[in-house]
This record gives sequence, structure tokens and C-alpha cells, in this order.
Amino acid sequence: MSPSKETVVVVPCSGIGKSFGTVSREAAYDLCEELRPESTRLVALAKLVLGEPGARELVAKHPAVTIDGCKQMCAAKMVRESGGTVAREVAVLDVFRRHKDLKPEGIAELNEAGRKLARVLAEEVAASLDGSGQTVKGAGHV
Amino acid sequence: MSDLLERKVGIVSCSGEELAEGTVARLAALKVLNELRPRDTVTICLPLFLAGGAGDRAFAKLHPTITVDGCDLRCAAHGTEKYSSKPAASLVVNELVAECGLERPEGRRRLNAAGQKAVEVTAERLAALVDQALGKEAGTARGSEAAAHEPDGGQREATCSCGSGVPVTKVSIDGQTVELVALPLIFRQSREKGRGQDEGAARELFETVKIYNAVPAEAEGSYREAVLREYAAFCEKEKQA
Repeated sequence: MSPSKETVVVVPCSGIGKSFGTVSREAAYDLCEELRPESTRLVALAKLVLGEPGARELVAKHPAVTIDGCKQMCAAKMVRESGGTVAREVAVLDVFRRHKDLKPEGIAELNEAGRKLARVLAEEVAASLDGSGQTVKGAGHV
Repeated sequence: MSDLLERKVGIVSCSGEELAEGTVARLAALKVLNELRPRDTVTICLPLFLAGGAGDRAFAKLHPTITVDGCDLRCAAHGTEKYSSKPAASLVVNELVAECGLERPEGRRRLNAAGQKAVEVTAERLAALVDQALGKEAGTARGSEAAAHEPDGGQREATCSCGSGVPVTKVSIDGQTVELVALPLIFRQSREKGRGQDEGAARELFETVKIYNAVPAEAEGSYREAVLREYAAFCEKEKQA
């Protein structure tokens, strides 16, 4: 397998006004720093908004996992508009619907339930990247 | 600048997840939104300028906007100017850190002590810019006064403007459907000023519409006709109400 196929870019939504946006960011950090640090690369969505060449090249070269905190699906839309391929499109709300005991609260700092929800989401994505776990509901292959 | 809505300053943060300075930018913005100037500020997620609708893109036209970026790429400042409107002021965290002689922040996920200090300094500077944008003396903004009197010490959730409440009206112009933002607000303002539907009022009304909407020069006549048609319908509806 070529290196470009081994690396997946992870793009959280950059949401600032809702707890679900914070969950998306925490899940991305869980995935990229702890669960799959060698095979993932975090890309800031703001760079795609700017059209920064390095970020555009990364999403053009590698499949992307997008993690969105609201129905606007900014991360998924921006990756596609930047010429990238969304391999897995994850909506935090879909994961929360399956884990309603993990209600996220707080924006600057998540509550314990929110951090657990982020971890669950990240673990599901990690497993699906390995091809051995359950597919993240609401996610699809392009 | 608009007085169509309650006058508040929009704060747009880069939220750059790749750098500690991006985390500083986001947390400083939230501190101003939640604690320092909660009643004077609103926010919107930067990507919504592209991924959202016309109402989201009108954000910086309806609010004097201050951007806060983590690094020299200035994604928030450039993105806001490109897709919404020129910010009233801009801050860059790494420049502010250097200016104040602070240590470089570290820990994009959990900031170190230098990062926490940078949040404090950035938030204070941001709050001062909010006061300036509103023409207030530093520290006299409604939020800082109110916070001291609220039972929870003024802790509030950030006011998020996604799907920002800016009304978008679909109008038929030259056989095409066009989205125009803020029409009902502009119409209501005109009515409240006691403006009628004469030529002078029509000219003033259309000039206001052009502040918030891109009107192609070659189609200005058609846009004007459509806006005045909508305004006449609005006035008729108001009379009947």
C-alpha cells in the first residue's frame, strides 16, 4: 500500500457556538493524537476556507474523515469544495442518538459525558478505518 | 454600519485545530462571548461563510466584526473579508504574544500555563476592541456590568449566529430566482421612519438594500423594480394587519 493510501486526513467542523462542535474537535484529537497517530493527519477547516494550498493538497491527496457538529455539515462540504474525497462523513448528532446517556454540555470545556461521546465517536471511526469495526452510522464511502 | 438589528459586535475566530495559538484564539473568543461582553457580542463559525446560506454570509455586513486568528495565515480575517465583509478589527495571537513578551503557548488540546495567560491577554484586548467598535469607554460595556449582577456571575453560553436569523427573501428578477438578505428588516426600518413610497424614499430604500446585497451593475434597474415591488407588497400587508 502506498503512503498516500495509508494516511487519512481528519477534518473536524471548527464549531464554536455549540457543544456538538466541541465534541467533533475532541473526537478528532482523540483519533489523531491517541488512537491512530501514525495514520491520520489533522487539518484545520479554517485553512480550507482560506483555500490554503498546503491544506488543499492534503485533502486532494488523501481520503478524508469529516466530523461535523451540526446539520450544516461545514467540514464535509468544505472538503468536497476543496477537491477532496470524503471517505467517512460523521455527524456527531447521529452518534449521540445512539448514545443518549452521553449528553454533551459546555463549549470551552466539555462535561464528562461530552468527552465520553467524543471518545466513543473516535473509537468507532478508528475501528472503521481498520475495516474491522462497525461502520459509523451516517457515514459512507464515496 | 447597520442599525437594523440590535447593535452587537460579531467575533469570528479561526479555531485553528492544528496549533495551540488556534486554541488560544477560540478560547479567548469564548471568554469574551461568555464572560467579558456577553450582551455585546455574537459569533459565527468561520466555515459557514462558505457552507451556509446568504444569511450567514451577510453576518459581517450586519455586525461590526472583529476577527481573531492564531497565526499569520489569518484565515478568519481573510475568510471574513472575502466572503462576508471587511472586519472592523483583527487580532493575531502569535503577534500579540510577541508584543506582550509572553512565552509561546503550547498544547493545542490542553493549553499550558503560557497558553492560559495568552487566552487572558487576547480576551482582554478583544474586549477592548469590542468597546471601541461600539463607541464605549473600556470596561463600560453592558456585558461587564451585567455579569457582576447575575446570580451565576455572568456565565453564559456563546451566542451562535449560525442560520443567523438574518431573513433571506427569494425574489424573481428577470426570470431568475435571486436571494436577497434583510429585506423585511430594511422595509420595517423604512416604515418606522415614516418613509412613504415616493421617489426619494425609493432611492434611499434601494441604496440600503445594496449595502447588504451584491447588485450587478447591469441588472440594477431590474433589482430596483423587484425590491420596490416587494416593498409595496410589504406595506400592503402591514396595512391589513
